Amino acid sequence: MADTSNQELTFTSSDGKNLQVPRDVAERSLLIKNMLDDLGDATEAIPIPNVTENVLTKVLEWCTHHRNDPPTTGDEDDSRRKTTDIEEWDQKFMQVDQEMLFEIILAANYLDIKPLLDIGCKTVANMIKGKSPEEIRKTFNIQNDFTPEEEDQIRRENEWAEE
Amino acid sequence: MTMADNAELESFRRQWREEVESRTKPITAGTSQQTSSRTAAPHPRHFPPTRHEAFARKEDEDGEAVVPSSQSDLVQGVDGLSLARPDDEDAFQSRTPRTEPKSALEHFERAVEKEAEGNLGDSLQHYRKAYRLDAAVDKEYRNKHFAGAWKKTTQTATSKEPTKPTSDVKPDIVPTSKLITSFFSFPIPPAEPLFEGDPAPPCPIAHVPSEVIVEILRHVALTDPAAFCRMALVCKRFAYHFSHEQHIWKRICQGAKFGFKAMHYSFACDVHGNPEHRLEPLPRYTPFPTDIPVQLPSPLSSWSEVFHTFPRIRFTGIYISTVNYTRAGAASAYSNISWNSPIHIVTYYRYLRFYPDGTVIYLLTTVEPVDVVPHITKANVTAARATSRKQHQKSAQDSVTGPQDPVPPIALDALKRAQWGRWRLSKPESPTDSLEESGYSFPTKDKSTSTPDPRDLIIETEGIGAPKYIYVLHLALRSSTSRPVIAHPMAPNPSRNTKLVWKGYWSYDKLTDDWAEFGLKNDRAFVFRRVRGWGINY
Repeated sequence: MADTSNQELTFTSSDGKNLQVPRDVAERSLLIKNMLDDLGDATEAIPIPNVTENVLTKVLEWCTHHRNDPPTTGDEDDSRRKTTDIEEWDQKFMQVDQEMLFEIILAANYLDIKPLLDIGCKTVANMIKGKSPEEIRKTFNIQNDFTPEEEDQIRRENEWAEE
Repeated sequence: MTMADNAELESFRRQWREEVESRTKPITAGTSQQTSSRTAAPHPRHFPPTRHEAFARKEDEDGEAVVPSSQSDLVQGVDGLSLARPDDEDAFQSRTPRTEPKSALEHFERAVEKEAEGNLGDSLQHYRKAYRLDAAVDKEYRNKHFAGAWKKTTQTATSKEPTKPTSDVKPDIVPTSKLITSFFSFPIPPAEPLFEGDPAPPCPIAHVPSEVIVEILRHVALTDPAAFCRMALVCKRFAYHFSHEQHIWKRICQGAKFGFKAMHYSFACDVHGNPEHRLEPLPRYTPFPTDIPVQLPSPLSSWSEVFHTFPRIRFTGIYISTVNYTRAGAASAYSNISWNSPIHIVTYYRYLRFYPDGTVIYLLTTVEPVDVVPHITKANVTAARATSRKQHQKSAQDSVTGPQDPVPPIALDALKRAQWGRWRLSKPESPTDSLEESGYSFPTKDKSTSTPDPRDLIIETEGIGAPKYIYVLHLALRSSTSRPVIAHPMAPNPSRNTKLVWKGYWSYDKLTDDWAEFGLKNDRAFVFRRVRGWGINY
């Protein structure tokens, strides 16, 4: 494995830009890791069709910072206890506009980077908690598609959960 | 309240009676009656026949009952028990359809109304608030109603009430579960631009695939199930996921934060709240362990149902029992007519705050929830009791005032009498471990049925003054709307297990092994109120 760790890979973003990536950084993505395991060596540029260059750069920045993290276990039993806790560096990393935030989430989902997806979803969850439905709609520019009758029906159905 | 002038009181009563009668009119006869009452206006002494009056009044009560069942039943639940609704800590949660009174006069009017309904607790709250806002509110009330202006206001007030039920009672064409299932393929709708022609505001969440939406919802749910619930009201797509992602509910049920992992079925500490040290820690019973596959308990069909029907203690707020009782006061020295002597109405509160570690804080005080509830924390109780021990040596502020939030003296004073305790739910019967390790025989066990009710809750607190006593509270979880709901027969039973009813209250003498029972004459059920920030790390 020693010979592959220094290996540089080339990613091609959806907008046609090439990025040089150290192999261990790239392998934070399970999609890439599994692909490399199958192929053995990748000498050609790897196309990342769903991710634009600026988003890919951002994702790789995260992967570089977390390149030495222990691999995640399948069950995140510990992380759910402090579900709102986000590491300070990650918090700063996630201080981006909402469009970028969701781009990162989508890229993490596509590239199969579970810890990054988790942080992204937690960041969104933190934007939701403590807000009323109307405030949530405003935060994410969502339109209310309920008829008043439907809204009332759902509200009554869920009354118990208000605690 | 004593009224000095009897003649004035008489006329006031008459006015009030007239008001009640007139209020029944628009409800029974609808709009046509309004015109007739207007024509009757020049003859205010014109009473309708008594039988009609009684009938009309009954109608009125029925009409009135519709409104509280939708709001106050679920909020406060117990008959006659009341809690300060408008000034509660979680204003963002209360969605009361009826506007709350603001001015002193409005409070007074509401109080009169509640009193007529026989709802003393609510009535008292409003009377007190009214007098606090304006000491001469009763005069204002009389002036208003003497002037004849009451017709207008009461009519608008009552006309508001019947409209609410009519829109509510309208039969649902689609059952809610089917309705929600139909939301399956709905996209998250992006908001339209504020001004026509502008580009629409960005809505990146609309492009997120379902699996990621579910992941986000899971994080929301594990942070705060109530926030998860509010998500269901944002748009159709979220409503669908809210009711269909049962694995999220399962995680909540199994979790330690809101779920059943934090429920104790045997005491986890001593009565002073100190953890008990054992050489071999006993295996803790939990109804839904995470390490083995779990089944849904038989009558229930979903994990969301488990979460809201299975007996569960909440840590996100306070349980309050409000007791009103009357005490005859001394007659005024100037009038020795016995029926004119004042009656004092005294209100006191019992508070229970539970902690996931098995401890509980019990507080009996006359201090109102607004003043004391936000300060009922372990740290404050410890601090308050420490100051009470070395009372005069040090000024209270020095030792207690924390760096962040100074506790107001009124709360601090009340917290000095707070008692530590421990709690446990009654373990559901299981064949594997029939050996119950209870230190002493519980007095009810021989009296009542021997099978433990899983809704039973046992609390032991330290005795006041003497360390040889343990007080034992035997409570039982109940749902707020145990009474049949008249207004919404189709609506599900909301807010389960938010009420704690009394089953017994004893003091136990550890030295002599004696049990003494406390009378439960004045004991009202505890009702749960959520307190912002408790049990949730915002």
